[in-house]
Amino acid sequence: MTQAQSSALVNSRRRLWAWRIGATLALAGAVHVVAVWALPRVIMGRVLSAAQPERTSGVFLPPMTDASQRRIVMPSPDLLYATCAFDVSTQPLRIRADPKAPRYWSIALYADNSDNFFVINDREAAGKPVDIVLIGPKAYARAPVLPVGATVIDAPSSRGLLLMRVLVADYAAEKSVLEAARASLSCEALR
Amino acid sequence: MSSRRVTAEAASPRRIGWATGLGLVLLATALGLGSAWLVLKRGDAFGAHAGPWRANLLAGSADADLYSRARVAVGGLLALNRAETMYYVAATDSDGQPLQSRCRYRVSGPPPKARWWSLTAYAEDYYLFPNEQRRYSVNGLNAAIDDKGGFALISGPTDPAWRACPGCPHPATVA
Repeated sequence: MTQAQSSALVNSRRRLWAWRIGATLALAGAVHVVAVWALPRVIMGRVLSAAQPERTSGVFLPPMTDASQRRIVMPSPDLLYATCAFDVSTQPLRIRADPKAPRYWSIALYADNSDNFFVINDREAAGKPVDIVLIGPKAYARAPVLPVGATVIDAPSSRGLLLMRVLVADYAAEKSVLEAARASLSCEALR
Repeated sequence: MSSRRVTAEAASPRRIGWATGLGLVLLATALGLGSAWLVLKRGDAFGAHAGPWRANLLAGSADADLYSRARVAVGGLLALNRAETMYYVAATDSDGQPLQSRCRYRVSGPPPKARWWSLTAYAEDYYLFPNEQRRYSVNGLNAAIDDKGGFALISGPTDPAWRACPGCPHPATVA
């Protein structure tokens, strides 16, 4: 091999490795972004898949939080929870509640990427029953008939989660009141 | 002979061997996932902070960037947005040392100016510490407020979770 041929070979190999390194870094960057973007959706997907409604109203009532609760990270031991996993892709969801709780309560809605897109609490409800119709992002086959007086909320995703929180001072002493408060929650498909 | 070999070498950018290609894909995947993990592990480095307390102002928000949303999903899934609730997390003490369950800590100060507040201890896996007393937090409903309007709590391996201790000395002096 002549010196010119050897030099050409070296340059060719350098270009090849430069291309390989560039492609590897570009792919790594794409993997990085996709992983960070997908993580909340994967985590929410697992939560929604595990949600098991206990009643025909679609509401799950977990026990009072203690160290045995290992479904959702950083659970508050001061709050009593209720959840509804919703899917409004084919029909809206009607959410109703009338919590007569002595202190703070709230109903929060989360999209499938974990964004908290809506909250209503006891002060905002001002003692009136909650009546919400949740509409999905895709058009329905036929327009739903909305209940009179209901608040219409647009969900940014078809699937998501409702989480109700009721503040607890002494669960044993206030059990009947607190359980009645969260038992007032219903999540039903609007037909 | 030699001219044919040089020509073949110059055309090699289009001929990446399967083994080399697979190895680079695996390397890229490892780099991508590893860098994502490292960035997310930095936790609230990108949020507001005061002393050891960190707060992610974009928790639960639809305006959150990719990293904030991912961090909150890992360490605080289903957080309420800041219009409703603020979350302050401390993983170190006021000297910057990582919190350890074998150590004893004193938390004191004025109660937050909020409708309601709570101080809760979580283990490294973000779940509650099991304890016989089943006490996991102190909040605005049951915290003992001293005559100066502040509270002082102490917690450690031999104390129930967050025992009120307004007169307790600084942990450095406790035997």
